[in-house]
Amino acid sequence: MKLKNLELRHFRNYEKINVNFSDGINVLIGNNAQGKTNLLEAIYVLALARSHRTRNNRDLINWKYENAQMKGRVSKAYADTDLELDLDRSGKRAKVNHIEQAKLSSYVGQLNVILFSPEDLSIVKGSPSVRRKFMDMEFGQISGQYLYNLSHYQRILEQRNRYLKQLYYRKAHDRLFLDVLSDQLSAFGAEIIHQRIQLLAGLEKSARQIHWDISLHKEKLKFRYVTALKDKDLTSTNHIYECLRALYKKNRNREIKQRTTILGPHRDDIHFIVNGKNVQTFGSQGQQRTTTLSVKLAEIDLMKSETNEAPILLLDDVLSELDGNRQTHLLKAIQDKVQTFLTTTSLSGITKKLIDNPKVFKISNGKITID
Amino acid sequence: MQYPEPLAKLIDSYMRLPGIGHKTAIRLAYFTVGMNKDDVKNFADALVSTKDKLKFCSICGNLTEEDPCEICRDPNRDRSKILVVEQSKDVMVMEQMKNYKGLYHVLHGVLSPIEGKGPEELNIKSLIKRLQKNESVNEVIIATNATPEGEATAMYLSKLIKPAGIKVTRLAHGLSVGSDIEYADNMTLYRAIKGRTQM
Repeated sequence: MKLKNLELRHFRNYEKINVNFSDGINVLIGNNAQGKTNLLEAIYVLALARSHRTRNNRDLINWKYENAQMKGRVSKAYADTDLELDLDRSGKRAKVNHIEQAKLSSYVGQLNVILFSPEDLSIVKGSPSVRRKFMDMEFGQISGQYLYNLSHYQRILEQRNRYLKQLYYRKAHDRLFLDVLSDQLSAFGAEIIHQRIQLLAGLEKSARQIHWDISLHKEKLKFRYVTALKDKDLTSTNHIYECLRALYKKNRNREIKQRTTILGPHRDDIHFIVNGKNVQTFGSQGQQRTTTLSVKLAEIDLMKSETNEAPILLLDDVLSELDGNRQTHLLKAIQDKVQTFLTTTSLSGITKKLIDNPKVFKISNGKITID
Repeated sequence: MQYPEPLAKLIDSYMRLPGIGHKTAIRLAYFTVGMNKDDVKNFADALVSTKDKLKFCSICGNLTEEDPCEICRDPNRDRSKILVVEQSKDVMVMEQMKNYKGLYHVLHGVLSPIEGKGPEELNIKSLIKRLQKNESVNEVIIATNATPEGEATAMYLSKLIKPAGIKVTRLAHGLSVGSDIEYADNMTLYRAIKGRTQM
């Protein structure tokens, strides 16, 4: 899919703009604090109806105004779709082809984006919760069922943790009800684990090849889904369900003592293994960067195979973080395949040579001019 | 200027009702002022009598004027089936269907530790007692909502009742009658395929 056109009103430091984009690479160039990242953010918000930079809608609206409006025309294989998102203090309204959507879930997914920013290194370096969030965000965009299972899982988890607390403080006594909550949690947990393993396998397949190429055929990347269950128990949803149930039964007294659910997909993790070693602890900075890049680029392939449409790639100040070899690979991977928006302060040397016919937008103080 | 005290009290009372905000409450209060006195008196009597005259049936927990309730007293009811619902409202909905002739049991809520509702807080004990006393019951139909909490409650009840050798059934989930498949959302279709029946 491609974003053909974007119209913004009162978004961040933009008063009113209307731009047409190229289907290939769009370069947003400008000095610091001119609005490059704001434009990427606008595309991200148009796609997901929320920002990656702030939780507060008010931050997205230009301080001089009460509301902001964003419109985009998305072209897909068979038809064009018009998206519109209106933000004001009380909330947001989303329209697809000029029809207001009652549920945001019927809006999100019309435009698929992948954002790559320097903070993404934390997928490799950060805590397990960052990797879980990464899985949940990516897989949730691909599969509505994943999102459904996840939201039910979280709800039941909350209930179960509360009940464990009540059992600990002897405000509740019924162990049978704890069993019911455990069974319910196991059922949704098993679905989530099974889906994660399947989707990760797809992601790993592409990531391995990309990593192999970037490292000049020296490094083999592998993913390992880390969970309380043994590998041999991960074969089917049913089997995972039975094993989770057994584990909850076994750890019942421990969980009551700790007043919380100590195992399940909300505690799982991924290990990225390069040549047999965990990159998070044993990898060099360079290896960690290569891994992040491989995983992010693999997401494009995964999303394409699951949704039949290539997503849109947003690169926020990423080129400056990568050396020549990695830049080459990144740009080779996206050239002619995905519509890309990248921000940079200067188009110098190697980058310029590598990109064919980029459409360059100069951004200065909330104004855009085409170079 | 402030509202005169009686009016302010009335606005405040209306605002306690679900779905009524400040503006609506003011509108209703001024409307009440304009109503004739008999209508207002009837209205007030109706409100008070919900508290004076209504009680919960000691057998099934449904709202009733007389204890036991009309359904529990009715000799023509099928005493081999008990349908378990979350609220008294649900009994009326089922009755309007006119196709169920068994008995009911009202739980007054669902299991939800977050809201402080455990098995002891619901009307479950009396259901078990009922089943122990009446050997004629051979099926318990659970009609809690299809929410995570409703499901948990259904699972809990079935674990409690099944060991006694009584059949426990759950309402079917899936496509609503008369609806087009093309308008069904993904999760509804998913549940409908999971719960498909052989022809």
